[in-house]
Parts: sequence; C-alpha cells; structure tokens
Amino acid sequence: MAYQEDIALMAHLMRRAGFGATRDELEARVAKGYEATVEELLHPEAQPAVDAYTLLRYQPASLLPGGQPPMGNVHWLYYLVNTQRPLQEKMALFWHHVFATGNSKVDNYDQLLEQIELFREKGLDNYRDLLLDVAKNPTMLFWLDNNQNHGTAVNENWGRELLELFSLGAGNYTEVDVREASRAFTGWTFETKIPRLPYGRFPWKFQYRPEDHDDTEKTFLGHRGRFNGEDIIDIIVQQPACGKFICRHLYNFFVADEPQVPAWPIEPPRDQKAMDMLVGAFRDSKFDMRSVLRVLFNSDAFKEARFKHVKSPAEVVVGTLRFVGGYEIPKPGYGELSMNTAYMGQDLLNPPSVEGWHTGKEWINSGSLMARINFMAEKVGNTSSPGVRGIINRLKTRGALNPEQLVDGCLDLLGPVEVGNETKQQLLSQANEWGQTSWDNGNAQVADQHVGQMLQLIVATREYQFA
Amino acid sequence: MPLTTVARGRVYDWSHAIGRGAATGTGFNYPQTMCLDKNGNVYTANRGNENNFGMRVNHVKVGGPGEEELLAEFFQYGEGDGKSIWPFGVAVCAQRDRVYCSDEWNNTISVFDTSGKFIFKFGSTGSGDGELQRPAGLAVESNGNLIVADSGNNRLQVFSPEGKFLGKCGHAGKGPGEFNQPWGITVDKDGHIFVADWKNHRIQKLSADGKCLMCLGSYGAIQEPEGAYGVTTFGPFVTGESEKAGYPPTDRFNHPTDVAVDSDGDIYVCDWGNHRICIFDSEGGPITTLIGDAHALSRWGQQSVDANPDMMKARRRVKSLEPQWRFCFPTAVDFDPQSDNLIVADSQRNRLQVYKKVRNYTDFQANL
Repeated sequence: MAYQEDIALMAHLMRRAGFGATRDELEARVAKGYEATVEELLHPEAQPAVDAYTLLRYQPASLLPGGQPPMGNVHWLYYLVNTQRPLQEKMALFWHHVFATGNSKVDNYDQLLEQIELFREKGLDNYRDLLLDVAKNPTMLFWLDNNQNHGTAVNENWGRELLELFSLGAGNYTEVDVREASRAFTGWTFETKIPRLPYGRFPWKFQYRPEDHDDTEKTFLGHRGRFNGEDIIDIIVQQPACGKFICRHLYNFFVADEPQVPAWPIEPPRDQKAMDMLVGAFRDSKFDMRSVLRVLFNSDAFKEARFKHVKSPAEVVVGTLRFVGGYEIPKPGYGELSMNTAYMGQDLLNPPSVEGWHTGKEWINSGSLMARINFMAEKVGNTSSPGVRGIINRLKTRGALNPEQLVDGCLDLLGPVEVGNETKQQLLSQANEWGQTSWDNGNAQVADQHVGQMLQLIVATREYQFA
Repeated sequence: MPLTTVARGRVYDWSHAIGRGAATGTGFNYPQTMCLDKNGNVYTANRGNENNFGMRVNHVKVGGPGEEELLAEFFQYGEGDGKSIWPFGVAVCAQRDRVYCSDEWNNTISVFDTSGKFIFKFGSTGSGDGELQRPAGLAVESNGNLIVADSGNNRLQVFSPEGKFLGKCGHAGKGPGEFNQPWGITVDKDGHIFVADWKNHRIQKLSADGKCLMCLGSYGAIQEPEGAYGVTTFGPFVTGESEKAGYPPTDRFNHPTDVAVDSDGDIYVCDWGNHRICIFDSEGGPITTLIGDAHALSRWGQQSVDANPDMMKARRRVKSLEPQWRFCFPTAVDFDPQSDNLIVADSQRNRLQVYKKVRNYTDFQANL
C-alpha cells in the first residue's frame, strides 16, 4: 500500500507540475524519489529541449504564423506534447495566464510565441526580472497601448494593468499611483517593424525613447523621485501585496482552486497558512520562483490537495495526448487538434481579456464539458494507441479479470483516479454486464474493447475532471 | 552586406529575388524543394499550412530581374490523383518531359507532364523494396531513373521511369553511406549522387551505385551575438559589427537540406538551420558562404507593397531593411549551367534569391 501511495503522490505531482505521466514514468520517478523529482522538474535545463527543427521540417508555417489560427497553436501544442521539461512548459502556461496577451488584438501569433519563449526561458527565475522583461516585451507594449503612452499624453492602460493584474491586485494602490506609474513608463515602446507584405513576419524590438519620457518627479506608493519604469517595478516587488498576489496565483494554478481574481480583495485565501508559507518564500528568496515552487511542491498543503483543482482545457488536451501517445511528430490534422483547448473554453494565445481565463468550476459548462469528454473519450477509446496499449498490456499480465478487477485496474492505471462510491457502482454495473474480461482463447479483441470502453467511462466521470 | 562576393577565384553577384508569400498563384508557400527545368526555370514544391492552403507545385520563370512569371501550378491539396496532402519533393526528367512529385503523407510519387497534367503515380507505405516512408527529395539520373530520398526509411531508392523498383542503398546510422532523415538530393554531370543527410548535419557524395565517396561537414549552429537583431528565435541574427557574426565556420552545418553542384564541380550546400549557402570546391575545401542579399524587392513583392499603402508607410519608417535581405531557413539550391544562375529557395520568406556566378570578373580600381 505504501508503494501505491507513492505512485498516487507522484501522479499528483506530475499532473500539477506537468501534464501527467504514464505508469512507466511514475514508477521510474518513484524509484528516484519525490524530492529528487521536484528538483529535476525545477531544473529543466538538465533535460533535452524540444526538437524544434523537426516541427519546422513538417510544419514550416508554424515558425512565423502571422495572425490566422491555427499554426501558432500547432507550434505551442508541439512543445506541450513533446517537452521533457514539463514544469518549464507549465510555467509558460502559468505566466501566459497571468500576463495574458491575445491574438485578438495583437494579430501576430509569431510575437505571442516569442512571449511564450520568454516565459519558457525565464519563468522559473526571478519574478522582478521577468516583470521587467514583460514591461519591455513589445507584444505586451502593443497589447496594453504603451506605444501610445507619451510624455505629453499619458496612456494608463499598461500602468493600470501592471498594478491591478500583474503584481499587486485591486485595492493595493490608488488612482494617483496608476497615473504616476504610467508616467514612469512613457517612452517605453518598440521600433517600427518590417511589415508583413510581401515576405512574411518580422519581429518587433523594444525601444526606449528618452525624448518621449516624462523625466519629472513622481510620487508612487509613498516614494518620491524622478522614477523611470524600472524604479516602479523595484518599488512594486517590495510591497507585501505583491508576494500575496503572485503566490495566490501560484496556489490557484498548482494547489487548489481559488475564487476568480476580481474576488480576491473580498474573499480570503482558501488556505491562509499555506499562503503565508509561500509569501515568506517569495520574500526571503527575493522573488525567486524556483525557490517558491520548491517550497510549494514539498509542502503538506500541496501533497494533500489531490483532486482539488479542475483541470484546465490545456491540461485536458495536453495530458490526454501525452498519455495516449503517437503525437510526437506533427501530422495532418494537428491544426484542428491544437484548437481543441479553444473548443473547451481556453483559446491558447488568445485569452478572453487581460485578466486571463476564469478557472476552477468556471471551466465547466454544458458545452465545454461535452467537448472535453468527447475529446478524451475518443482518444482513450483507441485501443491501438501506445498509451492505451500500455494499460492493456499491464492488465493482461494479471490474467482474467472479474468486473471489479477491471474497474479497479483501469482506475489505477489511468491515474490512480479516486472515485466516489456512486461512480464506482456505475462503472461496476457496466463491467458486470461484460462479465469476466480475458485475453485467452481468442477473446483479446473483446477484452481490448472492454478496457477501451471502461477508460471512456472513467474520463466521462465527474471525478476525472479534477487533477 | 556586399552584393558581390569574391572568394578564392570565384565571384557571386546577387541578381534578383522572385516571388512573395501567396497560398495560390503568383508566389510561394514554404517551398521544401526545387528543381530546374531545361529552360532554366524552376518547379518548387510548396508545403502550405494546416488550413490546407498553399500546398502545390508551381512552375515559375526565373529570367532576369523583374521577369518572374507563373507558368503553371498543380499537385494542390486534396485526395485522389494529381492531388497531395504533404508535397515535398520535385524533380524534372528533361528527356521525357516529366515532373515527379513526392507526397510524404500518402507515401507516393506522382508523375506529371511539364504543364502539370497528371499521368500516373506509384508507391505505397512501408519499409520493403519499393515502399516508402516520408519520401522527400527527388533527382533524375541521366538514364531517366528516379532516385528518391526515402527519408523515414533512411535510404535512397531507385525507380525506373515507370515506377518499378530497381535498387536501394543506405540505412539508419551515422557512418559513411548511412543516413538520418535525408532531405534533398542531386546528381552531378558525372553521375555522382549528393545527399543532404539532414539530421546527420552533413553532405554525402555517393558513386552512381551508392558507395560513399566523401562526407562533407559536421554539426555547428548559428549563435546569437550580443545585441543582435534576431529575425526569428532561431536566427538569422543581424548585427552592426559584422555581417557574418554568429555564423559558424563554412563546414559546420545545422540540418542541411539540399546540395547543388555547378559545371566547375563547386558544391553548394543549403545550410537550412544556419540560414546560408555554404560553397566548397570539388574536394570539399571551403570557399565562402552567402547569407542572402535581397536588397531589392521581387516584382510580385513590389506589387504587394504598391497595392497596400500602409505597408509602404511602414517600410519608410523601418530603421533598417537589412533583416529582410537575409535568408531565413533556405531549403533548396540549384545551379543552372546555362545561365550560371545560382538559385536559392528562401523558404520562410517565400521567395527565391538568384545569384550569378560571374566569369571573367575584372576587379575595380581599389583607390576609387
């Protein structure tokens, strides 16, 4: 039982810090140890990078995809499905949710992918440095109109979202602070890029125009000086509210579902003790995300939070594809495949607003639930896929299975998944109809079908929607 | 960047660009391979995208500056005869006036006449003799037989003009005569076969019967210099310091995709991941590299700009157009011995860049 508990805990870690893992991988990681696995996840550079050249050989249009879907989504999906650095990619997804920037306005998937690359490369490093990079990121500058923020005509869009959604949260600054922060970022813009016609996309480059910067004195969060943008960021990260805001995002993303961001000023955190621990790590490490995540993944609060998080569409799609296997090399139809997160309510690279997506229970509605169940059921019902074959091969070694053994075996190897008694009885009632499942005496095809159909039933359960 | 490159007795002069990004008609859409016809014009196999736009083979006149012309297009996206899912290779048989095109999803070779009329197709999926797995580059031997870079099976296969299997060479590996996902191939005037051994980062020269005679190059990737302008995350990189800063030595390749041999025996390697053409003498001695010099727009490119005033406005505000000059993942190179044109398929820019190998070049007075 102790070993089974280790498997369950490792499965939990890999669902949250990655996109799930096969039983073979879980067993290898358990042999390595929990804390060692956490360290490996926190140091992605030790694992090989995704082979982007193979993507570009098969799908050259995914490098500079312009403004039309789905080639940008194809590009990121290939990384998500193939990465051997799951936490690196998960952090890119995390920052994409926090620093939400969308193609609906930017109309440049290539530039959004460049932003994702920034999150991929620096997402586990220092938050202060990342925030500064984001402030200089042309895609963000365009998204929040800072190219329209002039010394003589201030545009507050970036300054406001910087405080409200990227660092402190509503209620922790005044309208004057918004104005003063915005003034400090005047002159932060980008060079005119080579336009898309006739030879395709070229990148934006950050540009600081001192002649367009308001260099006069400002008062910001109680500090006075001739602040520039970097000074504003240095003041922001020292605010206690900053650690609380970022760590609540981390808790919501990695540990357990919180209310939506606009409710945070009025709704206390779900686990204040855990929050205090994370905020302390954020402060003590001087904003080092790797340090905070080390504390998070090794904490009891995390280990005890199994199935307290509704899977996001990205977790559903990527987790399923990685589990069933066979999507390592792009193939025709990858574009449609890459849009499935959008059909479930999470259009990657195109969030609904700068606030990102509403998470937790809000991922589920009658339409999105059908989309996610249909997607998962189609994939796990394919008994020839490598991942499902892996489950079948393990079950086969157990000999003939009675209905309860079939249900328990599938629940175990698909997670382990924990289901309530009512769900278990429903699964059993179907298995009872089939009777014994055996691969002997020419029954292999029927037995395979039983497994595939049982997996389809499990992914359709309420419990399976949680991670 | 100099428009005339002089190195070890050779002179290459940038001539013109052809094409623009277009899913159909006058332009290209991610050309994967290219082949000259007997008139010095080219067929290119365009990959397209996941919206199922752009897949096709097009036949384009090369000519001089501003003379580009669309002659034909065929092998568009679709199921059935004459259609393709993932077009990749193209080769011309001048004797029979045929064009061979590979589809690396259906694992077939389709045969057309030079106007693009479908004749027949052959090939099926597998690893047995005559079966194909992701057929990539194609080349026609002087006897009319077709060589296929059977990339997924890491070998070359030879077929008769009727599609009958005749022979094969190579298998997966790193040694001489072994391959790792070969891409483009060419046959020189003496019948030697040159293969871009893509994932082994080298070129192999084979005898007509498939024995390895020379391996050229090893792995080396472009690096981003400090403060450079990255045209893409993977380069090329443009710096004010030196136009070739960041590029590795000439004989270091990053996923080479194609090779051509000129009438003097000089070898041209399409160094895809390093965004350049590497030039060698017939013994494999490095001569120079070309990194793209498209300082003038193609005719169709100019038409796009002229028809879109906002594009013109933006171009007038750009600090430097130099990033636009450079190759960006070039996939194919051909040399036309009749015109001395060196033609490069500049894949991510959906254009061709044409250089002239200049004979009898007279140097200018150095104290001008």
